[in-house]
Amino acid sequence: MELKEKLQILADSAKYDASCSSSGSHRKTTHGIGNVAVSGICHSFSSDGRCISLLKILLTNCCIFDCKYCLNRKNNTIKRAIFTPEEICEVTINFYRRNYIEGLFLSSGIVKSPDYTMELLIETLRLLRKKYHFGGYIHAKAIPGASEKLLKELGSLVDRLSANIELPTENGLKLLAPNKDSSKVHKIMQYVKTNQNNQYVPAGQSTQMIIGATKESDLEIMEKSSHLYDTYHLKRVFYSAYIPVNKDSLLPSLEKPPLKRENRLYQADFLLRFYHFKVKDLLNPDNPNFNILVDPKADWALRHLDEFPKEVTTSSYHDLLKIPGIGVKSAKRIIYSRRVFKLCFDDLKKMGVVLKRAKYFITCGGKYFLDSSLFKKEFIEKNLVLEEFIPEKKEFEQLRLFNE
Amino acid sequence: MNNGCFIYEDTFLSLLNLIHYLLKNAIKPDKIKNTSYSPNLFDEVVHLTILEEKEIFNKVIQLIGSYATRALYYVFLSNEENKELILYYLLLNGQKYKDKILFHRHLRCVSETIRISNYVIHEVHKYKGFVRFQELENHILYAEVEPVNDVLELIAPHFKKRLKNDYWIIKDVRRNRLSLYDKKNYYLVSGHEFSLETTLKSHEEQKVEELWKAFYKTIGIQERKNERCRMNFMPKKYWKYMLEMEDEL
Ligand code: SF4
Repeated sequence: MELKEKLQILADSAKYDASCSSSGSHRKTTHGIGNVAVSGICHSFSSDGRCISLLKILLTNCCIFDCKYCLNRKNNTIKRAIFTPEEICEVTINFYRRNYIEGLFLSSGIVKSPDYTMELLIETLRLLRKKYHFGGYIHAKAIPGASEKLLKELGSLVDRLSANIELPTENGLKLLAPNKDSSKVHKIMQYVKTNQNNQYVPAGQSTQMIIGATKESDLEIMEKSSHLYDTYHLKRVFYSAYIPVNKDSLLPSLEKPPLKRENRLYQADFLLRFYHFKVKDLLNPDNPNFNILVDPKADWALRHLDEFPKEVTTSSYHDLLKIPGIGVKSAKRIIYSRRVFKLCFDDLKKMGVVLKRAKYFITCGGKYFLDSSLFKKEFIEKNLVLEEFIPEKKEFEQLRLFNE
Repeated sequence: MNNGCFIYEDTFLSLLNLIHYLLKNAIKPDKIKNTSYSPNLFDEVVHLTILEEKEIFNKVIQLIGSYATRALYYVFLSNEENKELILYYLLLNGQKYKDKILFHRHLRCVSETIRISNYVIHEVHKYKGFVRFQELENHILYAEVEPVNDVLELIAPHFKKRLKNDYWIIKDVRRNRLSLYDKKNYYLVSGHEFSLETTLKSHEEQKVEELWKAFYKTIGIQERKNERCRMNFMPKKYWKYMLEMEDEL
């Protein structure tokens, strides 16, 4: 088989994995080719608008498992391919030198056994690091069920490791991935958490859940995420809207992947990690799914209107973060600026604070942005829903010079 | 001499010296321009011979701090039409607000400085990803870029660290300037001083490019197609030098 065809087959099988980030590694490199950039770099964007940072491939799409949602499942009749370690190294180095990529994302179907598969991954990455002296970013999949010794070795070659939890509940997993066992995934996470340092998985670990293949609610998904962040200190949980690639009576028949829902989950995930929200603030058993029409923070604010409008010149950092449309950056800018001058609405705009959503929830110097009689749930909700459909414009204000 | 159009010698230091002079003598300029400026009928062009102070750079750092000075430099590298005047007003206000100057975002010169320097930083970051090297016959890696701002010197250090064992050249086509790396240091030269021996690609190049294009086509998920989103992150102005976009241009 030609190398090009192999690459097509094995990139095609790998593309459903959502993670492609190349950030967060502080690993030092001295000689050889390449390094890592702490903030991560996107080298291109695919037709679906996702960042391309890593050469994302499977070592092989042969697999002894039969996960219902997966293109590579044992019972599918598709073309199978396997890379040799040298081929992977050559392509990686060739792409890297031309600045197409930040590094390699290597996953694999399971051939023969988990240990055997892990050994193949390790052999490849060892070759890449030791013989080709590759110092760029590597993200590898850890194969659940492989021995600890191999996990130890794999982790010392990569920047990031991940093991996918796939489905938020045991029931979902039993239904669609009968060969998988979540306890094995948890074992990997526990091991990585205990051993992580500058030489071992320096960029930390991540995982992924498929959204919409099974019946779990957003509440169940977020509780799972929250648990994973707390227990294993994951860097990221990725959510991947289920895309039907197989026909199976156990799988839902969706016309379109639930992209909006995926988006809401990412927004909520941010609220957990950077905005001090708890899952129970956002969802509860009576209200187990996110509002598709407005984002989770705005949804929360609408249910807690008694805490608003917040006065931006006096609210604490923590409180500023609760305002829809105000992010970490904006909140910090407000805090710094109001120490040195008296803020007004115009200043907020000059500071790059986006008022699109925030304006309904704030006062500035005691003044509400709109007519204060409009501070009503129905009015705000209606406008927020409308705003969702207006694409964000990047504002490059015309220069009005200083003589004004 | 108020309200003149003051000309500086195209370098950052020369600009700082000029601004320093204007501030010291309480002159309020109408325009500050570099030597390539072609004046209009109403411009009162003033060429000053100012004794260049080497210390000026340190003076500025002492006045407004190194962080703000860096922002100042980024604005200088930008393509903004009135950037010199923005910097004049920034330093004017800097005399009062010292190293707190950047917190005063209600001043237009401050919000503009921050906006423009962010734009420059943003462009540098984009180019770290979007630069595409080709391997030439003689194994030199060669890339062409066309940045809006004059960011070549900010991109070069990144590739010095990353591709330290290769000879490489990045050419700013718009300004006809090149950055050359000889496995030790990088140099910035004008296109008049340097020309490429060959632009023939190495025999491997074609194959690698095809692999990359095949990968690019494969990795997009049809069911998630999102043209607007791609455009947001990777505006068309970058496509010209990105081989994977060739077919879509
Ligand atoms: S283990 Fe399951 S998800 Fe992974 S490649 Fe095999 S069939 Fe697909």
